[in-house]
Amino acid sequence: MELTDDIELVDGVPIAYIRSLAALVFSDLHLGYEGKMAKKGVFVPKVNLKHINDAIAHSLKGRDVKQLIIVGDIKNDFSTVDTEEFNELYELISFAKERSLSLVLIKGNHDNFVDRYKEPFNLEIHSQSARMGNYFFFHGEEMPNVGDNEVSTLIMGHEHPAIVITNAAGRREKLRCFLYGKYKKRNLLVLPATNFFSTGNEVNVHSPSMLSPVFHGAKVKGMSAIALGYGSTEDFGKVSDLIGM
Amino acid sequence: MIQLAGKPFDDEESLSALNPYVSKWFTGNFTELTPPQKYAFKLICDRKNVLITAPTGSGKTMSGFLSIIGKLFDYSLAGTLEDRVYCIYVSPLRALNNDIFRNLTKPLNEVYEIIKKEKGLDIIKSNIKQVTIGVRTGDTTQKERRGQLTRPPNILVTTPESLAIILNSEKFIESFKGLEFIIIDEVHELANNKRGVHLALSLARLKNLLGKAPATIGLSATLHPLEEAAKYLVGVTGGKPNDCIIVDASWSKKLEVKAISPVQDMIYSKEEDVEKLTYAEMDRIIKGGKTTLIFTNTRSGTERVVFNLKKRFGYSDADVAAHHSSLSRESRLDVEEQLKKGSLRAVVSSTSLELGVDIGNIDDVIQLGSPKSVTRAIQRIGRSGHSYKATARGEMLVLNRDDLVECSVMLDAALKRHLDSFKVPQNALDVLAQHIIGMSISKIWDIDEAFDVIRTAYPYSSLDREDYMSVVNYLAGSYVGLESRKVYGKIWYDEKERRFGKRGKLAKVIYMLNLGTIPDEVAIGVYTKPNKLIGNIEEEFLTKLKQGDIFTLGGKLYQFESTKGMKCYVVEAKATAPTIPPWFSEQLPLSYELANEIGQFRNDFSAVVRDSLKRIKGKNAAKMETLPKEVDDYLSKLPVDQNSRHAIFGYFAEQLLFAGEVPSNELMLIECTSDPDEGKNYIVFHSLYGRRINDALSRAFGIELSEMLDTDIGTMVNDNGFVLSSEESIGINEKTIKKAIEDIRNVGLEKMLKANIRRTELLRRKFRHVAARSFMILRNYKGWKITVNKQQINSQMIFKAAEEIDPNFPIIKETYREILNDLMDMPRAQMLLDNMKSGKLKYKVIETDVPSPFSHSMITFGHADVILMKERHKYLEQLHKLVIKRINENK
Repeated sequence: MELTDDIELVDGVPIAYIRSLAALVFSDLHLGYEGKMAKKGVFVPKVNLKHINDAIAHSLKGRDVKQLIIVGDIKNDFSTVDTEEFNELYELISFAKERSLSLVLIKGNHDNFVDRYKEPFNLEIHSQSARMGNYFFFHGEEMPNVGDNEVSTLIMGHEHPAIVITNAAGRREKLRCFLYGKYKKRNLLVLPATNFFSTGNEVNVHSPSMLSPVFHGAKVKGMSAIALGYGSTEDFGKVSDLIGM
Repeated sequence: MIQLAGKPFDDEESLSALNPYVSKWFTGNFTELTPPQKYAFKLICDRKNVLITAPTGSGKTMSGFLSIIGKLFDYSLAGTLEDRVYCIYVSPLRALNNDIFRNLTKPLNEVYEIIKKEKGLDIIKSNIKQVTIGVRTGDTTQKERRGQLTRPPNILVTTPESLAIILNSEKFIESFKGLEFIIIDEVHELANNKRGVHLALSLARLKNLLGKAPATIGLSATLHPLEEAAKYLVGVTGGKPNDCIIVDASWSKKLEVKAISPVQDMIYSKEEDVEKLTYAEMDRIIKGGKTTLIFTNTRSGTERVVFNLKKRFGYSDADVAAHHSSLSRESRLDVEEQLKKGSLRAVVSSTSLELGVDIGNIDDVIQLGSPKSVTRAIQRIGRSGHSYKATARGEMLVLNRDDLVECSVMLDAALKRHLDSFKVPQNALDVLAQHIIGMSISKIWDIDEAFDVIRTAYPYSSLDREDYMSVVNYLAGSYVGLESRKVYGKIWYDEKERRFGKRGKLAKVIYMLNLGTIPDEVAIGVYTKPNKLIGNIEEEFLTKLKQGDIFTLGGKLYQFESTKGMKCYVVEAKATAPTIPPWFSEQLPLSYELANEIGQFRNDFSAVVRDSLKRIKGKNAAKMETLPKEVDDYLSKLPVDQNSRHAIFGYFAEQLLFAGEVPSNELMLIECTSDPDEGKNYIVFHSLYGRRINDALSRAFGIELSEMLDTDIGTMVNDNGFVLSSEESIGINEKTIKKAIEDIRNVGLEKMLKANIRRTELLRRKFRHVAARSFMILRNYKGWKITVNKQQINSQMIFKAAEEIDPNFPIIKETYREILNDLMDMPRAQMLLDNMKSGKLKYKVIETDVPSPFSHSMITFGHADVILMKERHKYLEQLHKLVIKRINENK
């Protein structure tokens, strides 16, 4: 679905396409998650990376893409990079290389220690935020320092937003969503998590527990929730109208 | 070949087969052989495989052990008794193990004394050793274990789980190499569940390890079919069951039973009167004997009865006590001790005293409400009577008309020895996975060799190679890339060489710490949002809840919404009636066989009543002083009292006068009706086949009809049928049902049910159990214990991921298998659908403007409790008034 003239939300996947940058933008991959669980004695089959690669491959079709911009939390473990994580990171990088895509990484709170892969893999790593064209990318765990009047749109991750809808049979259905609205007179786009296991942070409740300082106050209620699931991406309207649905 | 024992051996033959000193000890302590002993002594001396079923108090344990003790003393006297294990005894009850230890120590010592006296110094000269016995369970200390390693006992008493551990203890298992006998006690507690399946595989592995099959002896309470139990016990070779002789002494006790209705009119008698008369009846029976055992079916019922007996008749704590599984171990042991001493007048139990522990002499058994199965009824009543020669006496006190019919037919079936059957779970993949890990730790296996060993266990005798390979592949970690297999793989597997073995240094420790089949369970906290705790429910109850179900907790009604880990979220319900009673998960489902007998009774007796009504038309059938002769004749064949006969006749007469039809095993009545007061419309399926079948049928019809009629449909399930309800009016006829059956069959019942349960609590909880059994979640890992809460949340994640890679992933497949085949009875539900389609089972749709009498118990099902059932009672009374009004209007 077309969000603006320049931004398309690729149907059914948690990925935004920015035409002017020839870029796919996504966030919160948490690679190595299953490996971490396995170390605790919980053997979750590995599906996350394949799922993400499939979503990227799907988004590449019919679009001119030169780069992948990852808005933070590419990996899961805070403290170090372990073997499982490294293998997955390597696989993702190879996946991009094979398709001649450059990788841009905005570091998130889980991304300590990725710097050591900057040189060998020729990665572009930004420690807090990056400005590209009219866009300002940041992960979201800290307040953005935009300071540039040319910037029209902020794009962040970190929140893992989702909405909950109760269907007629009384069953609760949770759908991941993009959030789109205003932040200090600029546009703000919050990306859903790409991680397969992320259940999502419910935003359409009376007092949502938002993680980012950007949402101090209740600004999220004025934003639009654009939910994805069942192969499509649909605008569900204002969050405030979805409370208790 | 499995065969029934022929004639018993005469006592002399039996005793002369035993070791002479053991024989001497026996005749010095007992005056005669009990029925099972008349067979078992000789058969076991001849090293036959034997399954013995006999009531408690019939010397069952001695019949299993005495010949073996004799053999061991033979060795001892010949100076060849070594310090190794000759016999293992496995019981699922740890408490029983200590009993057995004590009970065997006595004869062992006494026989040895006899030998000592006779042989004098020869004892030392010819090295005649005492036969030793030892216990090894989870409670055995390290020190004791070390002792057993240096000096293994000749008879080892253990549990299924400890046996599995022993199989992988390289050093200890050495002392088993010459094992000659295996005794499995409480076979009825094992053969129908995964714990028993686990044991069957352990036995198969043990026999393989030994390279021969020791004589295997099973001890069991009444169960049916015995052939099935025997196969479970001895296993299979080359697709054919191994030899086993069945000794069926379960009928050596006579039965004297009766169904009793405390009041003649079960509908209009005042609540207080019913209670008063019920307790008076109980008191009369208690005072008539020395000790009475009372069964209530639910734990809360147990407490209430104890309270009332004390309050109404002045019994003290020393006279009456409760015994159920929620009580502490100490208080249960205390009650058991008092029972053995004979100091209690009455003990009230839910199910815990049904079997197992020795409880001394009971004069009479009272059963409140239906125990739902003939076998269970016999087991419970069989606890009374001082010896196997005495008569077991039991009374069933019944408080509603469906229960009454059920209990009458049940007792009749008990007297005729029509038992209901059990099933051994087949091809459980989670237990299989666990054992393959265990096998991989002991040696390197050829893939076919292992398959053959596994198939010698009866629960796996029909195992598919494909299923087997899917489990091996899962364990090998083939669902992740090669580089991750050292983390995910649980066995080493060489695909080319077709061999598997141990993977990793920790494999054994992990296996030992996590094996077993009993899931970790904790209470579920019930919360209203955002986070207010209301109370607790059992996880088992949670699995029965469907979204939107209404249940009572602390006297208030709540509607079930969602769960998170071990928390259950609800909202206060606006409705006036619950849809599911609080004891639903506690009470066992009605057995299929008994259901069928009731259906047959309905069919036969309704014909009698129909004729009779023609003759006596105009009279109020329910209020008649004396019953019509043909009715009285028919009912006097049943073990029921006078009040019950009147109540049963009244019940059938009303149904016939009101609806013109009585549902039976030959006719499924489908009743469209409504309740003006509740504002609800119902389709009542009078499908008397038990809850396991109705659970499956109601889901299928619920989904199908809600689609066909385009309306939201709620379901209520019980043993006598199921009810679909809707706020909107629903009109259906035979054509609708015909179409529904066709649609269900076209889509496939299994597919429909799988889709229906995929996102339910039932599936989520069962999946956790299966995932833990197959080591997908290690409950105990590297010194950490994963809490049940974490296990639950993690297992949901595993399910999501596993489903993504393969909807037929063995762990998922097993979860569905367990739910559809062990918990529900999908195969029989399918059979009923087929019969409805072919016309073998007739069905008829009727419309009634108020619910017919036979549907009342189904519609009021969710209301309150079995004993304290004020609300339900009131509601029933209302419904009944409406029915009678209509009957009178029609005249």
